[in-house]
Amino acid sequence: MSDYAFSGGVVIKNPYPVEQVKIIQAPLPNRVVLPLQQRIGDEAKPCVKVGDRVLTGQVIAQTQDQFCVPIHASISGTVVDISQQIIPHKSGLKANCISIESDGQDEWIKTQGCGNDFLQCDRQTMIDYVQRSGIVGLGGAGFPSHTKLNKAVDCHTLIINGTECEPGVMCDDALMQHHPREVIRGVEVLLHITGAKKAIIAIENDKQEAYQSLLMFNHNDRISLAQLPAKYTSGAEKLLIRALLGIEIPSGGFAADKGVLCQNVSSTKAIFDAVIDQRPLVSRIVTITGDALTPVNVEVRLGTSFEQVIGLTDVNNQAHDYRMGGMMMGVDIVDTNMPICKITNCIFVNNKKTQQPAKECIRCGACNTVCPIGLLPQQIYWHAKGENIEKCMDYHLLDCIECACCSYVCPSHIDLVNYFSFAKALHHKQVADQHKIDVARDRFEFREYRLERNKQERAQMMADKKQALKEKMAKDKAQGQVQKDKIAQAMARVNKKKDKNA
Amino acid sequence: MHNSGLSTNQIMRQVIYALVLGVSASYVFFGWGIIIQILLGTAAALIIEALFVALRGRSVLESISDGSAVLTAVLLAISIPSIAPWWIVVMGVAFAIIFGKQLYGGLGNNPFNPAMLGYAFLLVSYPLQMTTWPVDFLSFSQAVDEVFNLLNFDAVSGATRLDSVKTSLSLGNDIATLQVHSTSQAWINIGFLVGGVYLLARKIIFWHIPVAVLSGILAMALLIAMFDSQPHLPVQNHLILGGTMLGAFFIATDPVSASTTPKGRLIYGFLIGVLIVVIRTYGGYPDGIAFAVLLMNMTVPLIDHYTQPKVFGRP
Repeated sequence: MSDYAFSGGVVIKNPYPVEQVKIIQAPLPNRVVLPLQQRIGDEAKPCVKVGDRVLTGQVIAQTQDQFCVPIHASISGTVVDISQQIIPHKSGLKANCISIESDGQDEWIKTQGCGNDFLQCDRQTMIDYVQRSGIVGLGGAGFPSHTKLNKAVDCHTLIINGTECEPGVMCDDALMQHHPREVIRGVEVLLHITGAKKAIIAIENDKQEAYQSLLMFNHNDRISLAQLPAKYTSGAEKLLIRALLGIEIPSGGFAADKGVLCQNVSSTKAIFDAVIDQRPLVSRIVTITGDALTPVNVEVRLGTSFEQVIGLTDVNNQAHDYRMGGMMMGVDIVDTNMPICKITNCIFVNNKKTQQPAKECIRCGACNTVCPIGLLPQQIYWHAKGENIEKCMDYHLLDCIECACCSYVCPSHIDLVNYFSFAKALHHKQVADQHKIDVARDRFEFREYRLERNKQERAQMMADKKQALKEKMAKDKAQGQVQKDKIAQAMARVNKKKDKNA
Repeated sequence: MHNSGLSTNQIMRQVIYALVLGVSASYVFFGWGIIIQILLGTAAALIIEALFVALRGRSVLESISDGSAVLTAVLLAISIPSIAPWWIVVMGVAFAIIFGKQLYGGLGNNPFNPAMLGYAFLLVSYPLQMTTWPVDFLSFSQAVDEVFNLLNFDAVSGATRLDSVKTSLSLGNDIATLQVHSTSQAWINIGFLVGGVYLLARKIIFWHIPVAVLSGILAMALLIAMFDSQPHLPVQNHLILGGTMLGAFFIATDPVSASTTPKGRLIYGFLIGVLIVVIRTYGGYPDGIAFAVLLMNMTVPLIDHYTQPKVFGRP
């Protein structure tokens, strides 16, 4: 079953292979820092105060935003601080975070989910459990799972994404090897929620152990396993759907529009925990890899600092380059004093290297042969460099998934993706500015119209008044005439009488 | 970011290595001239590039080390007659680098193929020197004498085969009596063909352009052979005379000035092939590669715009 082909993409061998994929349980951290801002949506509002005692799994912040999930305490202890801290973000920005100091008890709140006979529960209840337990896409995108589930009406096929195509990352691999039962049960839960007829678990063919362990636990004939060629970008949602089902999701469209739901394996396991026990998501598996240490997977509580997690490994004492997320799509970071989030799947710790300086683009076309979307990165780069966003859009800038295959193969070492995300940001800014301009113009035009209308109304009113006055005067005049006539008639009558009498 | 393949500098070097066979063939038949031209051109290119990059306030070492100036010089030196006076190659290289590349902003920004721009400049300015080729092997000292005009040694020289066939035909000679074949040029072309195949195998150039150029040449030559009653150069000779293989594999494939989309490369190459034959047959110049390439360079933005590949999720 390895005949699924992808156009574009690059084959990259795992740069830091391990003999056996293991999961180490990290000790309870002394302190966790939990950011209130999630991937999308509003910032959550804290519902605890400094000094409060919280239990593991207790909701500590919430929002009304439908795209958001509540934030849970990942350890039991005392809230010590609610303030701005560095969060794991591209720009190294600070955001409001709740810090909790552990009491070492790890005392959980009491929760109850659907239990093992989840088939009795209805769809909406289960989706609520997913939201209340704070489940988001754990593959790296962090898209809230309940939003996806709500959207998935008329879903015919469920795709469980276990490809984990980013070289070096192995947290999903570890999960599939060590928790196959939960994954399969999670798929059954998802089948029940979505009403899909079949589910396909997609795994790259270099993860044989994971494949075998899932195969052993899969006794459901609605669930099938598919092995894909180990090629980077095979795990991108839309590309995966095309490879497995031959369905091409239109640009700007959603998988749900075509009756497909895609979920990451780790999210599937988290959904299983959420629905069965309503167990909140308070930990995740993180791969720590790179040439400065022996690669490991560590299950850590959310909010543990990078530094502490890296300290669990046999890291050497040299100067390091750090990168979070994958080798391809991740971002370089400088400060390791930031918390692990739901989307932190991997941390790279490499011995410091000097970067090769970028040269000019010679339009060799290596990038467009690897672009899985079929874009012409060299052309977009040319226009992005000149900040000609309109031209970039002609070359479909917004369809770029920022997979960095182009940067990877560029013989001139140009970080193309960086230019593309810059151009996208510029585009969004231009759109926002244009919107502001449009609103201002509309407001101005309306004001002009209103003044003009007032003027006209006033003129009309004056004219009407004048007319009325005129009419009244005419009427008065006419009435005066009648009166005069009457007087004249009366006078005439009197005179007549007088004449008669005389 | 890690990287998989060759760097830009390595690509340029590989292209230069791939020229070795063709250059050797030229050496075997015509002697030291070509070697002297290449050395002269390279030296001139390095000096001029360094000077200009320094004037522009950029890093000289970085620019020199990218190998593009050397490649331009080598391509130009191969294209010009091996007994041309020394100032021909120096002026050509200077023109190519200054007007063909640096004035546009350096490597990657030039719309025209610099080597061919230099060649066209030389051809229109010094037609005599540019069409006088040696007909025999020249020893080192003979070649030096010719190039630097030291002694009054006059090598036996003449026009290229393409040129002489054309002149003879225009004088009303019968094609059957003419020698349309040239063993030396055939071998040189084969040398460049093998070098080109090496580049293809190393995935340094894509197959589209060379295949399209050669099919363009064949298609147009066939058309002319079928519909033009005048006698012309036989179809197969177009492929092995003149700079056909050098043009198809090394010159038209210059990525900077060529079309960059897969479909665009086919159109670009095919039309270059067509233009080469049209210029050879009806034009005033013996060979048409330089003009064909320059003309098609101008159409590249248009071709690129209309040959964008299908984007995922779009019709």
